[in-house]
Amino acid sequence: MIARPGGFIWLLRHDLKLNFLRFRGMFGDRGPWTVASIAALAFVAIHLLCWPVAAWFVKSHGAAASVGAYYPALACAALFVMPWMASQALMNSTRALYTRGDLDLILTSPMSARAVVSSRALAIAFEAVASVGVFLFPIADMNALLGGARWLAVYPALMASGLMATAVGLALTVGLFALVGPRKTRVVSQIVATFIASALVLGGQVVNLLPEATRGSIWAMVEHPAPGSLFDPNIALWTPVRAAMGDSRDLAVWAAVSTLAFVVAAVAFGPYFMASAVRSAGAAATAGPRKSARRRDFRVGVAASLRRKEWRLLARDPWLFSQMLLQVIYTLPISVVVWRSPGVGGAIGLAVSPFVVVIASQISASLAWLAMSSEDAPEFLATAPVARSQVERGKMEAVFIPLAALLAGPLIGLALIEPGTAALTAVIAALAASSTALLNLWHPMPGKRSQLLRRHSQSKFVGLMEHGLAMSWALVMALALYGSALALAPVAIVAGLLWFNRPDKWRRAAAPRLALAR
Amino acid sequence: MSNIEQDRPPALELRSLRKTFAGAVAVEGLDLTVRAGEFFTLLGPNGAGKTTTLRMIAGLLPADSGEISIFGVDARRKSIDAKRITAWLPDEPMLYDKLDPLEYLEFVAGLWGVDPRVAQTRARELLETLDLWSHRDERCEGFSRGMKQKVALAGALIHDPQLLMLDEPLTGLDAAAARQVKDLLRERVRAGRSVILTTHILVVAERLADRIGIIARGQLVAEGTLDELRSLARASDASQKHDSLEDVFLKLTRPTEKAA
Repeated sequence: MIARPGGFIWLLRHDLKLNFLRFRGMFGDRGPWTVASIAALAFVAIHLLCWPVAAWFVKSHGAAASVGAYYPALACAALFVMPWMASQALMNSTRALYTRGDLDLILTSPMSARAVVSSRALAIAFEAVASVGVFLFPIADMNALLGGARWLAVYPALMASGLMATAVGLALTVGLFALVGPRKTRVVSQIVATFIASALVLGGQVVNLLPEATRGSIWAMVEHPAPGSLFDPNIALWTPVRAAMGDSRDLAVWAAVSTLAFVVAAVAFGPYFMASAVRSAGAAATAGPRKSARRRDFRVGVAASLRRKEWRLLARDPWLFSQMLLQVIYTLPISVVVWRSPGVGGAIGLAVSPFVVVIASQISASLAWLAMSSEDAPEFLATAPVARSQVERGKMEAVFIPLAALLAGPLIGLALIEPGTAALTAVIAALAASSTALLNLWHPMPGKRSQLLRRHSQSKFVGLMEHGLAMSWALVMALALYGSALALAPVAIVAGLLWFNRPDKWRRAAAPRLALAR
Repeated sequence: MSNIEQDRPPALELRSLRKTFAGAVAVEGLDLTVRAGEFFTLLGPNGAGKTTTLRMIAGLLPADSGEISIFGVDARRKSIDAKRITAWLPDEPMLYDKLDPLEYLEFVAGLWGVDPRVAQTRARELLETLDLWSHRDERCEGFSRGMKQKVALAGALIHDPQLLMLDEPLTGLDAAAARQVKDLLRERVRAGRSVILTTHILVVAERLADRIGIIARGQLVAEGTLDELRSLARASDASQKHDSLEDVFLKLTRPTEKAA
């Protein structure tokens, strides 16, 4: 089809190009061909990693096994995939509303609102499908290679699911806009999207907390479902799963329903979506001003000023707060699984302490990044008559005090059961938090606060080091609880990582840090 | 415009100041003296080195060589002492959107170690002068550019700096806000403080400045009162009349044949 300038296909091509540019932005300054090559290599690597998974499927059930054989696994996959894609679509729809980019230009062009929304929505669907397809398509490909050609139906089924998820995302965005107004929609939608995506993780936690007998009976219902029950693979709810398994009738139904939902969403919400985009641009100017809390007297001191400033900025950004707390929520289910595992035998310390340590390092890294790298007025601070070390110390205090408050709950709870373990956990958590905070201090990655979760796209290296430190400290914690001298090994790893990242080594080669006074 | 008496102590002295970026010369052998209680305006075409000069004085950029003295303090060696008595206001206001003006001023006062009671009184005076008192509890995120610029100016003045440096402070301000800022700056000078301002708006320099420095290609090509600059322009080109600052500016910043 020829992409007539100003036409729908032309605009879609433009939107897909923007998607690629955003993706490319994650690889720094690398050229398009380099990025495409890296992506292709990664795709091949994932295929190779999926080979054992596919082989296990075929070995377990045979290449020509019935849909029912795969049903539990695929149903679980669908339960993860659909909320994930819907959350992606919701976040991207909101971004399309609020990130002005080229939207102002397009809105002043003679293109119809429906065409603009349809194009943007298709680009959103593409991104949602790609975020899941990168893992599911290789599994389907490998299974198809091993003889199950019908696995290729995962492709159209997932694309249809992407359209459906985007329709849901659009509807949610428009609904939130109407419900909470332009000013709050962005924050609320981000929180909702994160909770949708984490719903299954939280759900998994609930299941893990259930008594063994209850879990057994649920599993029995999944394996031998009563006709017409929630677990019956033949009910309408599981049409996407049957479509993914290559049932042509269900595939046709799912594709038709999803396409219809997408078209209806684009047509029905298109004009409102565009009107919302216009309103969102003037949201700050038209909505009433946000007032601060009660007034009190000025206070004195550099460190106190820095601490107060950091805490105020954090407290007034609920999205940032929710993102950091979600890091805690994501970690909890693993803790429950460990606690219930036979080797641990209900030892609460072993189940909780390593995760407290991981949480401490992650939250500390996030807070340190917010304080050090996403400073809104770095040059202003540089003109203040304050030594850099004093600024850094003040900011570190701003990081550690809320972290200590956050960890106080689990540590006190642990202390009531195992006081010694609690003390050891506090020490190791403090060391872990210090190490990731130091890493962020030594290697600032300047960015806006809203980029908290994507901060590592600037430096994959620092991201890797951060995870390395967190995992090493968790290992130290676990081995220390076993009383093993091997705990010294990960300590050595941590020391090595910190030595490798020491500031003097990099300061010589890298661009000079902010010209704060020494 | 009144001439500043030469016996007033120098507020700022630059000697042979030089700055390069990746080999490209931004400021070359800059010599400049601004006296206490003087309103000095630095003019120059885009890329002339005005902002780079101010950033070096403010301690944001290290100079390659040369001397910067602020009220006798060697700003390159004792940067903290120098920063204590200076303030820098860039063209883009540096604020925290989630803070309100009073919280911002409290933060700035804390950094400069101003006594909290003094800071609170000054904050109120400044916000009232700049018509921001009624917005004191509103977060800066909802402010217009002009309002943000005024909050930033209040921040720059909260510690009563001896030397105030402003980089294009009137950009984006409406007529009323621009008048408020100009009045405030004049008041500062009357109180004996020194102000250095860069601007593209020649009429501002013409009306506000005691002395004007013209910088081009990283060098100070002329400095003096408006009359002195007119004389200088006439002396270098007797065939032309150079009455307005615009004429003088264009004449003095025109690249020479050699330079071109």
